[in-house]
Amino acid sequence: MNTRIRHLALAMIILYVILFVQLNVIQVGRKNTLDSDARNTRQTVRDYNDPRGDIRTKDGVVIATSIRNESGSEFAWQRIYPQGDLYSAITGYFTFAYGATQLEKTQNDILAGRTVEQQIRGIGSLFNGQNTSGSVQTTLDSRIQQAAKDALGNREGSVVVIEPSTGAIQAMWSYPSYDPNRVVIQDDERAGELLRSLDSMSGKPLLANAYQERYMPGSTFKVITAAGALDAGLINTESSWPDESEFLPPQTNDPIQNYANKVCGGDLAEVFRRSCNTPFARTAIALGPQKMVDITKGFGIGEVIPFDLPRAVSSQFGDVDYFEENLPLLGIGGFGQGNTQMVPLHMAMVAASIANKGMMMKPYVVAATYDHNGSVLRRTSPTVWKTPMSSATSALLTELMIGVVNEGTAKCCMALANGIQAAAKTGTAQLNAAGEPQNSHAWMVAFAPAQAPRYAIVVMLKGTTAEISAGTGGTLAGPIAKKILDIALRR
Amino acid sequence: MNGTSQPIGAARRSTEFQLVFMAAMITATAYTLASLGKNSVIPPRILPFLAVLLLVLMSAHIGVRWLAQGADSTVLPVAVLLNGLGYVMIARLSERLAGLQTTWTFIGVACFIAVLFLVQRVNDLARYTWTFFFLGAGLLLLPMVPRIGFSSGGARIWVSVGPINFQPGEFAKLALALFFAGYLAENRELISSGTWKVGRLNLPEPRHLLPLLSAWGFSVVLMVGQKDLGSSLLFFTLFIVMVWVATEKTSFLIIGLGLFVAGTTAAYFMFDHVQTRFAIWLDPWSRYDAKGFQIAQAMYALGSGGVSGTGLGLGDPTRIPEAKNDFIFAAIGEEMGLFGATAILIAFLLLIGAGLRTAMRTHRPFEKLFAVGLTTILGTQAFIIIGGVIRVVPLTGITLPFVSYGGSSLVANYILLALLIRVSDSSARGLGEVPNTATSRERLAVRRARRTSKRHPVNQDDQS
Repeated sequence: MNTRIRHLALAMIILYVILFVQLNVIQVGRKNTLDSDARNTRQTVRDYNDPRGDIRTKDGVVIATSIRNESGSEFAWQRIYPQGDLYSAITGYFTFAYGATQLEKTQNDILAGRTVEQQIRGIGSLFNGQNTSGSVQTTLDSRIQQAAKDALGNREGSVVVIEPSTGAIQAMWSYPSYDPNRVVIQDDERAGELLRSLDSMSGKPLLANAYQERYMPGSTFKVITAAGALDAGLINTESSWPDESEFLPPQTNDPIQNYANKVCGGDLAEVFRRSCNTPFARTAIALGPQKMVDITKGFGIGEVIPFDLPRAVSSQFGDVDYFEENLPLLGIGGFGQGNTQMVPLHMAMVAASIANKGMMMKPYVVAATYDHNGSVLRRTSPTVWKTPMSSATSALLTELMIGVVNEGTAKCCMALANGIQAAAKTGTAQLNAAGEPQNSHAWMVAFAPAQAPRYAIVVMLKGTTAEISAGTGGTLAGPIAKKILDIALRR
Repeated sequence: MNGTSQPIGAARRSTEFQLVFMAAMITATAYTLASLGKNSVIPPRILPFLAVLLLVLMSAHIGVRWLAQGADSTVLPVAVLLNGLGYVMIARLSERLAGLQTTWTFIGVACFIAVLFLVQRVNDLARYTWTFFFLGAGLLLLPMVPRIGFSSGGARIWVSVGPINFQPGEFAKLALALFFAGYLAENRELISSGTWKVGRLNLPEPRHLLPLLSAWGFSVVLMVGQKDLGSSLLFFTLFIVMVWVATEKTSFLIIGLGLFVAGTTAAYFMFDHVQTRFAIWLDPWSRYDAKGFQIAQAMYALGSGGVSGTGLGLGDPTRIPEAKNDFIFAAIGEEMGLFGATAILIAFLLLIGAGLRTAMRTHRPFEKLFAVGLTTILGTQAFIIIGGVIRVVPLTGITLPFVSYGGSSLVANYILLALLIRVSDSSARGLGEVPNTATSRERLAVRRARRTSKRHPVNQDDQS
């Protein structure tokens, strides 16, 4: 019988080796897959029962924090957002069942105190039970953020304010928004219902349309066409265009018209401040598809914006082959209509690059991260993303944009308090085809003070109401931009 | 031979003492770590805990030293280590159950010593082959008796007598292993010679086969009547392995496998719950919201443990349904990682190794088969449940010996351990490693006989 017993022993060893191999497959091989499974709530539960650090504005206003729950509660901590909906596009939310978004997601390891550096620094906490969660300081200025919300009111759209020399976001507000406090409740089912209803609402409050959506930019895009043509030497301050109400591009019988079919023409300063369309259509077609597309690429159009918040999108212009076949659309694209789509944040970055001697900085909202003692973990250092134009061209464009404010389409509304000079460009993006009812987005890009710029701003109103569609970028977005800049520049 | 020091026996017992002491220390350390991890405090009653732990484990050791001096030195330490680590995990999951498990451990160790005392010669058991057959059969069928038997968790394996609830199946497996060993030791040659010719096949006489087939029938009854797939699989494996080892005929293994495949296939098509088990095994993820949840949670737990584990008390094993019981292996894998889980596997392999070595060392067929049976129960049961938890085989609910929470399981496994140690001691006596002196009961019997003869000298005279 001993032979059989030896065989039995061998069989048992094989069975247990199989168990050992399978254990390795699960605990080593598939560990990452299992940990990142959406239904696996272990990590979230751990995070939920640990303290979690604050998120602050640059002037110290707490915009996300955790408070201790009463004992007996399912979780030890409750996340709250003291400013309600004001910063939801920045902080996002941190829920048990539905994950986290925005900074709550990207800065999760810092806030939970889980980075290697924090764990080494907090090694003493093993003995004294000290809280080792980190905190995040944003670049946002609470005054400007509040001003942006107040000025936009209940019109759908976005405001972004950037510091041109660094790319630090001073304010970023989108309407409609939502209150993250309503999502982080302990009742998973109610939170889920709310998220689903927010998701299906028109205006998409869960999407921060300031950087997660793109819109037709209208005439604000002319700064890009002008910058490219100036740098290429195709046009200069001496250039002039004929007075005309429409222009017939090649490959079509359908002429391109000026806004409201007005007769428009003159030198560069005049066509820029009056925002004539045909000169820019002519310029874009004269540059040709290859050059025009290269210019837009120089501005980062077509690339996802390198933002430190998740799921930023890219602006779009079009590709060379398509425009070779459709030169009229290249002309229309030259003044920001047709298939041209810009992310509001990106448009603010374009204005900021003009204000920053032609250098476009990487936008960011995280100024610095801190450990539990308040010592800095990481501080964001500003970096140049693109250099879309020469310093000379940016100076010239600044002059052109001052002209817009003083004598052009923004004359109505952009005279800042205390006589501070702003530089601006308006945009009214016509969404309707000829003959359909008027429907347009209203845009304003600007920076101030014009000669020593501290803030660049974009205001974009979606053409969702008759009031907006009937107005222009100057009359509608202008007053909003002025209000915000006035508050930002007040000292 | 006189009763002075015996080198081999003494050496084994001293090794056992050291190993049991280490097992106690590991358990106490793990207990402290789990408390630190969970509540950030050293357990306030750690010293009394250690004292009681040492007391219980050392009484088991002294029991072996007194009653089975020649036995293998690793079996008891490995078993108490498994018991200890299981206890730490149960205490970490639920303080209330920890208290109950403590009681079960006391009772288990008491039964361990009692069995060592009551069964001092393995052959004492061989006399009761048929008694154990009827005992095992009765125990197995008990849960199906109306009024006292009841279902819990889908399987009708419980019996309630007065205030006591227990799972008779845990004890039935010991009784049936005893019956198989006794019956096969006596009849194995008759069975393997195959004197009944059916066509070209030589089969054992039907009357020799009948008891075995009826034993096999029990596993079917278990599966159909009690929905207890795990025990059914265990009994069937036990039955096949013992017949195969006893007859040394591979054809029995093949026939057994055939019966197994046929039985499984039939069960698959006849019972919904068997189909569900297979479906969950193949893909728990698409059934996450229903029956696949438990396995999925076990996978998450093992994954989050990784190589080194989350640390005792620092994981989240309460999310796994039945973590204290069938799924305790996943909880150990989470908090002690691949290292800890592998240690459990190695512990069971050591037990299997010790059990089969015992079987090989002894020369008496009954002892050989009995040791094989006991080892097969232990090894197969652990494989079935660990394999079920980590998706090597379809999940069939059964406890992890010594580790899982549960009174019947713990007590039955301590009895199993005592029997294995008894066989091991007997093999040492047979090999002359320790003197085959009279057992304490035999000495007691002799003394009683002497006393009787003194009181009745006439009788003595009559005899002489």
